[in-house]
Amino acid sequence: MRALGIDPVGDVRATFRALVDATARPGTIQSTPTAPADRAVLATLVDHEVGLYTEDDRVADALSSEGRLERAAVADADVVHVDGAGAVDLEAVSRGTLKEPSDGASIVYRVDALREDPAASRLGVAVSGPGVPSERTFGVDGLTADELAAFEELTVDFPRGVDVVLAADRAIVGLPRSVDTEVR
Amino acid sequence: MTDRGESDDDTLRTGDGVDAGESSTAAETEAGESTTGTETDAEDETREGLESDGGVSEPAPSSPGVAPESVDGLLEGVESAGIEGYNYAYLDEHTKREVRRATLKAIAIPGHQVPFASREMPLARGWGTGGIQVSLSLLGPDDTFKVIDQGSDESVNAANIRRLAETTANVDPTRDTTAASIIQTRHRIPEEVLTDEQILVLQVPTTDPLRKVDGSDDRNRRRHAHQNYSKMWVSLYENVVEWDEIQIGAAYPVLVNGRYLMSPSPIPRWDTPKLHQAETLFLFAAGREARIYAVPPHTDVEPLAFEDKRFQRERFPEACALCGSTDTYRTEVETDDGKRLYACNDTSFCEKRQRDPSIQKAHHVDRDVGWERLEEPAVDAANDGGEGR
Ligand SMILES: [Zn+2]
Repeated sequence: MRALGIDPVGDVRATFRALVDATARPGTIQSTPTAPADRAVLATLVDHEVGLYTEDDRVADALSSEGRLERAAVADADVVHVDGAGAVDLEAVSRGTLKEPSDGASIVYRVDALREDPAASRLGVAVSGPGVPSERTFGVDGLTADELAAFEELTVDFPRGVDVVLAADRAIVGLPRSVDTEVR
Repeated sequence: MTDRGESDDDTLRTGDGVDAGESSTAAETEAGESTTGTETDAEDETREGLESDGGVSEPAPSSPGVAPESVDGLLEGVESAGIEGYNYAYLDEHTKREVRRATLKAIAIPGHQVPFASREMPLARGWGTGGIQVSLSLLGPDDTFKVIDQGSDESVNAANIRRLAETTANVDPTRDTTAASIIQTRHRIPEEVLTDEQILVLQVPTTDPLRKVDGSDDRNRRRHAHQNYSKMWVSLYENVVEWDEIQIGAAYPVLVNGRYLMSPSPIPRWDTPKLHQAETLFLFAAGREARIYAVPPHTDVEPLAFEDKRFQRERFPEACALCGSTDTYRTEVETDDGKRLYACNDTSFCEKRQRDPSIQKAHHVDRDVGWERLEEPAVDAANDGGEGR
């Protein structure tokens, strides 16, 4: 992962802790030690044990050079890397089964910007559910209301579903399948 | 609880209720546990003896360098060969990724048991091998790490886990609950209020609460899939009919986020309400069963109960003989001269109280955390009527 400017032990551990906080406290903005955050997340989670869908050649090359790349089509991928709205047909993403919902994919979604203040962003999002005391809001540029609704659609038969990490620069926001989101 | 339907894969339990493997406190998880525990050091010693004698032989760990069979062996190797021969935080990065992916899925699906490829650890079998993998996947040089075993920082097991993390991950060890960023624990949640900057890692001997009513892992997974917990309810109801109360000492089953039935690990009932709408992330890890599950902060955790047979925490006939506490989980202990008395099970907090009897469980946080609402009449022998016996 040094090819991506990521220390394979320390940076990856710090990125994992950011992911833990982001997933346990959905809607909060967490920081990764390196940018762009989507690459940091992929470097932290992906190896040959999981199928990866990505069109980011730099990430694919870095993983491949360490024997950690197992490419997969969107429908079969455990980790789906999305670079911008509309780049991937979200309906096709695996949502796991009722018996093993954790087989549902993780979506690492690169957006333009993440902010605590929804009013300062193109899309304001309100989050509620586990990890959130009543309601939490954040703002995002580079995600459409349609895409947000598509995430919701993928979790209608919870516990099946997908877990989304939005990433921009060094910021990430977790939207695990357990939460509800709406445009604010 | 009745204990019918022991399964083939449930090798932990034997007919007489003595665990051969990971669950060292079989008595706690079985029906009829005395409300006030009687854990003593002597019992712990015995269990450790059983553990090493009765353990199933394991393939050697596949870590680089030597293949230590104990923390002592490992740390000796570190001392002679230098830390360079070892991975940071002991585990190789491939193992950490596996644990980390499962941990994140567990947080995303509160209460669901996520399978992971558990590896061997240089700890006696069953003594927190799942918990230590989760802890080592989290720990970094900025962390302060506390390990407790039945409320005590001093047990051999706790000390070994702490030393392993201290030596290989360069974390600061602590016994002070309020100073710890990560706490690994076996069978207790500390008395002092946990905050949003802390993660609690609980060691789990037996993951599935349904195993008490059906030994088939596959059938139970189907039950979880469809949220079909009727068999559990029937069992609880039979329990009430037979005993006029729900006879579960520890590992009291809970419903998480209104969806998954979950064992909170063998914590006493005293600790169970601390999981509900907490500030803290709780991670549960079972090495032998290779499962990780989680309760995120601000998540509903409800103990199963009936309208007329409500969930109750343990009550104690006496205050702590050492610090005078009446609002802590106490166990009955025997002194050297054969006297029996009650003492706090959380020794670190008990010591604080001995120094300053006025210290509160939320002394370190400046907001209402809600734990105080859990306080019940502390010494209530008159109305107790021997609960749990
Ligand atoms: Zn005390």
